[in-house]
Amino acid sequence: MEEMILKTTGVKRAFDTPAGKFWALKGIDIAIPRGVFAILKGRSGSGKTTLMNILNSLDDPTEGEVFFEGRSLRDLSERERENLRRKKMGFVFQSVSLLPSLNALQNVEFSMRMAGIRISGENRGRAEECLKLVGLGNRLTHMSAEMSGGEQQRVAIARAFAHRPGIIFADEPTAELDSAMAAHVTELFKEMTRREGVTILMTTHDVGLMGAADMTIELQDGTQI
Amino acid sequence: MLGIMLQKLWQKKWMNLSLLLGCILFVATAVSFPLYQKTAYDRMLQDEFTKYLREKGRWPMVLWMNATCVNDKKDTIGKLERYSGEICSQLGLPEYRAIRSYYLLKSPVRSEFARDDAEYLTLCLGAMTDLTDHAQMIAGHAYSGDGRAEDGVIEVIVPETTLVKRGLLLDETLTFEKLKTADGKPVRIRISGVFTDGNPEECYFQEDPEQMWDRCFMEPELFASLFTGENATRYSIYASLYNLPDYRAVTADKIGHINEVTAWMCQESPYRSVLEDPNYQTILEGYAVKQLRISQALTILQIPVLVLLVAFLLMISGQMYEMERNEISVIKSRGSYRGQILLLYLYQGLFLSGLGGLIGVPLAIFFARLLSATRDFLEFNPSSSLRVQYTPQTGLYALLAMSVTLCAISVPAIRHSKVSIVSLKQSRAVSKKPLWQKLFLDILLLGIALYGYYTFQKRMRDISETVLSGESLDPLLYVSSSLFIVGAGLLFLRLQPLVVRLIHLCVQRFLGPAGYISFMENTRNGRKMQLIMLFLVMTVSLGMFHATVARTILENALENTDYLDGADAIIYENWPMMQDENGTPTGVYLEPDSVKYLSMDFASSHTRVVYDDRAYIKKSRNARTMLTVMAIHTKEFGGLTDLPAGINEKSYHTYLNELASTEGGLLLSRNFATMQDIKIGDTVDFHTGNDKTLSGTVVDFVDYFPAYRPVTTTINPDGNAVSTDNFLIVMNYSDLRKKLGVQPYENWIALREGTSPDMLYNFIEGNRMTVRKYVNKAQNMEHTLTDPLLQGTNGVLTMGFVVTLLLCAVGYLIYWILSIRERELIFGVLRAWGFHKGEIVRMLLMEQLFSGVFSVLAGIGIGRLSSAMFVPLLQASYATSDQVLPMKLITRASDLYRLYGIVAAVMFVCICTLIFLVFHMNVTKALKLGEE
Repeated sequence: MEEMILKTTGVKRAFDTPAGKFWALKGIDIAIPRGVFAILKGRSGSGKTTLMNILNSLDDPTEGEVFFEGRSLRDLSERERENLRRKKMGFVFQSVSLLPSLNALQNVEFSMRMAGIRISGENRGRAEECLKLVGLGNRLTHMSAEMSGGEQQRVAIARAFAHRPGIIFADEPTAELDSAMAAHVTELFKEMTRREGVTILMTTHDVGLMGAADMTIELQDGTQI
Repeated sequence: MLGIMLQKLWQKKWMNLSLLLGCILFVATAVSFPLYQKTAYDRMLQDEFTKYLREKGRWPMVLWMNATCVNDKKDTIGKLERYSGEICSQLGLPEYRAIRSYYLLKSPVRSEFARDDAEYLTLCLGAMTDLTDHAQMIAGHAYSGDGRAEDGVIEVIVPETTLVKRGLLLDETLTFEKLKTADGKPVRIRISGVFTDGNPEECYFQEDPEQMWDRCFMEPELFASLFTGENATRYSIYASLYNLPDYRAVTADKIGHINEVTAWMCQESPYRSVLEDPNYQTILEGYAVKQLRISQALTILQIPVLVLLVAFLLMISGQMYEMERNEISVIKSRGSYRGQILLLYLYQGLFLSGLGGLIGVPLAIFFARLLSATRDFLEFNPSSSLRVQYTPQTGLYALLAMSVTLCAISVPAIRHSKVSIVSLKQSRAVSKKPLWQKLFLDILLLGIALYGYYTFQKRMRDISETVLSGESLDPLLYVSSSLFIVGAGLLFLRLQPLVVRLIHLCVQRFLGPAGYISFMENTRNGRKMQLIMLFLVMTVSLGMFHATVARTILENALENTDYLDGADAIIYENWPMMQDENGTPTGVYLEPDSVKYLSMDFASSHTRVVYDDRAYIKKSRNARTMLTVMAIHTKEFGGLTDLPAGINEKSYHTYLNELASTEGGLLLSRNFATMQDIKIGDTVDFHTGNDKTLSGTVVDFVDYFPAYRPVTTTINPDGNAVSTDNFLIVMNYSDLRKKLGVQPYENWIALREGTSPDMLYNFIEGNRMTVRKYVNKAQNMEHTLTDPLLQGTNGVLTMGFVVTLLLCAVGYLIYWILSIRERELIFGVLRAWGFHKGEIVRMLLMEQLFSGVFSVLAGIGIGRLSSAMFVPLLQASYATSDQVLPMKLITRASDLYRLYGIVAAVMFVCICTLIFLVFHMNVTKALKLGEE
């Protein structure tokens, strides 16, 4: 049977508003196999980011359960979840999120440091290799302020997979990029699932990018369609 | 526009509150100093007047006109009286008292009694206004209302001295044979009473009644009608008119007017020929010298505080512009004019500085009151605070201060309003070296400061002499220390990243992600922290420097007073000399009753000290070298006096023991021994003030001895300070007594704790003692403590210190809170990646270590160094002619602990706030914030 890296059963999420409870997610059951490039799509306000935050353990569902590599996230302590995010997950955010005091290479190395990987021996070349993979082999020592938005996002992608996580959560990574760059980034994700065997879950509302995905999950008003 | 401004104020309320705080403190500080100075000048002026009153026993402001009028055809007396009536109002002062006295020339009198000396008896008949209100009748009665006895004889009262020296009797009737009334009859007087000065404190008598030994006084109106009125007999009359303006109404701002009017009165006015030089001129001259010193010292001391306040405003407004750069660039890209942006910031600046002025001015009054209540560094005594009033200048100073705050807030907008989105992004990409680093401002400032240091160190003695002669000092002297602190602070900023990098190299193998990030943050983005770091360095070092300046100046002054007074109290009674039958002095003194000293229950011990400052040695037949001889009972003397350790080669008691163990032994002041080339074991012959010869063997040399002043500095007529050596010989009291018998001695007394000056006064009065010298150390110490120069210095330094600490606390906290807010997205990202909260706290703690702790350590180092270098220079500028002891640098540990404690508390609060913020940070919200 195909191994599911991420699985949810009846995930619901409610927020308290002055007008009463607002259900952002109304029962989501999804299963994402390891090594696929999955896209979570839906309009603005459909619940993509809410679901994403629940899947990556930053938030808890009001009802239902999330299983990562077969373990329920509910059973994990705060510290265990943090360690999970450090070691087994990678993140790419919509806004540029490089550490401003580090250069491209150091930014990538930093995710390895966080995952507890020592930057020595065979690991020394890993960060550089990741940057080459995203086409930035010639900009290793550039600071984030010296790079364009697309370049910065590519550094963020390199950083997300440098420590060899099981899954990368990419929340609207192409929203601030032009369409050519967006297509390039999507291609990169695809390439990575192939080369590194990493699972990628990307949210987007850009219909043009759907074709690249191995699987698509669509949300509308908090329900899966 | 106004709406946008108010919205902007509300949105960043904490930052605007900090700016407002800066504005309030700047206005309050800038206005309080001149307010206090005015109050201090007034107090100092009053001190000078009361000192004169106390020491001379005369009213400090006396205008004396006198003239002899022969027949007075020109109505001279009338004119004098008219002048006298307007003289005080011309000075702009109320009149405390006017005394008019008139005398006929001395004239022979004939007594009704048959007297041996009848031939020679002359008296001076006069009248003095209000005499009977102030004279105390010790025998008989005052003249009656109309001035005549029932039988028509003129009643007169006479001073006790007239009665005694002229051998007159109460109720004796005398006739002036040459003085006739209008009807041609000789003037007849009867002595109805004898008076003395009833209350010297009233300062009624301008001439001591003791000296009026031929005067008799009649009723003034009767005198006028008989001798000066229209139908009066014309005689030569000596008129002496005293006007006593009320010195208590003299304030510093009236001095210019008083000096002008006085100069006019003495040189140009119609009564210049009859007006004697007013006594208050010397008082005002002395005051002017002191006033110049205070104004110089206080002005210079307050400058660093004001600079720090401006730096605070610039720092906070800098943060504000940094945070609002995005908004400014967006607004501009949307088509707003630069002028509109500038106007927005101008409104904000006007609002904040206006509000700052409104709150700052009343606060300035409070500050000034606090300044005047300073007793010690960081100590206030509210009960001694002075009345501080608004003056027309208050508004001017407030306006000036407000415009400075307005500039600090709004002027940077000119630069920031140029930013567009493109240039903003470009500027973020390029990390430039700060301008001061490129200009080597740190090295330049240090260079100037060190130049000042070496120049003034070489001329340290000149500084004191310049100050004593009333000249103004080179401002570089005062500014050097501030330049040094700022220069060293900037140098620290230049070196700090290198140190951090070095530490990083050493510890990088052991660093976790949190440590790694904080090191990288500090080395790459350290520039952002530079202002707050400089601020911290300056707070700590200025705090230490100010604490040391205040302590050193105060403690040295107190120690000096302590030394010069010698003992807790000294009483030297008048020793009458015995006379032989013919009234010729015998040279033998009559010892006042000494038993009373045994009954002083407020004293723990007392000793006799012969103190002869008219002793001498013969240099040649006609030349003498003057010196002071002290004869002491070593054991008793050593029990109630002491010297600060280390000022002589040996301990104080060693010298006393050496003296005690050698009969005929002498201790010599070292300057005397050097001048005369005297060695230990030599025999020295010298003479007492009344020419008795003494000799002894030298046992040792001292540099300092209780109450001994090795050098006296005086100002010569050219205005230059001149130093004269004083010489001292100390001998055993028993030796002196053996050779010369009982000589007049002083009683040096050690008081029990809690003895009030009243107890001593009561003792002196109760025993009806005539005292020639009286020293009360506690009173003199109190006087030193409340000296306006010292008090003002303490006040300004304390105030500066408190303001600095307040700014540091607020500035540091604001900086960190803003810095966290600014990096909230990054923290959110790190938390999403799995960074623990603890790791973020650790990261911030390490950043605090690199910025805060390093700065505090640097501040301590710079503070110590600058104190050691510049405090002696500053102290020299506080020199008085009374400064005898060598200056010591004094730091009180409690001051420093207080400083460290407050800085530590600030950092602790800061860390707690950081931890609170980090633990309450919502990761998903932070990430969302980034998307917006």
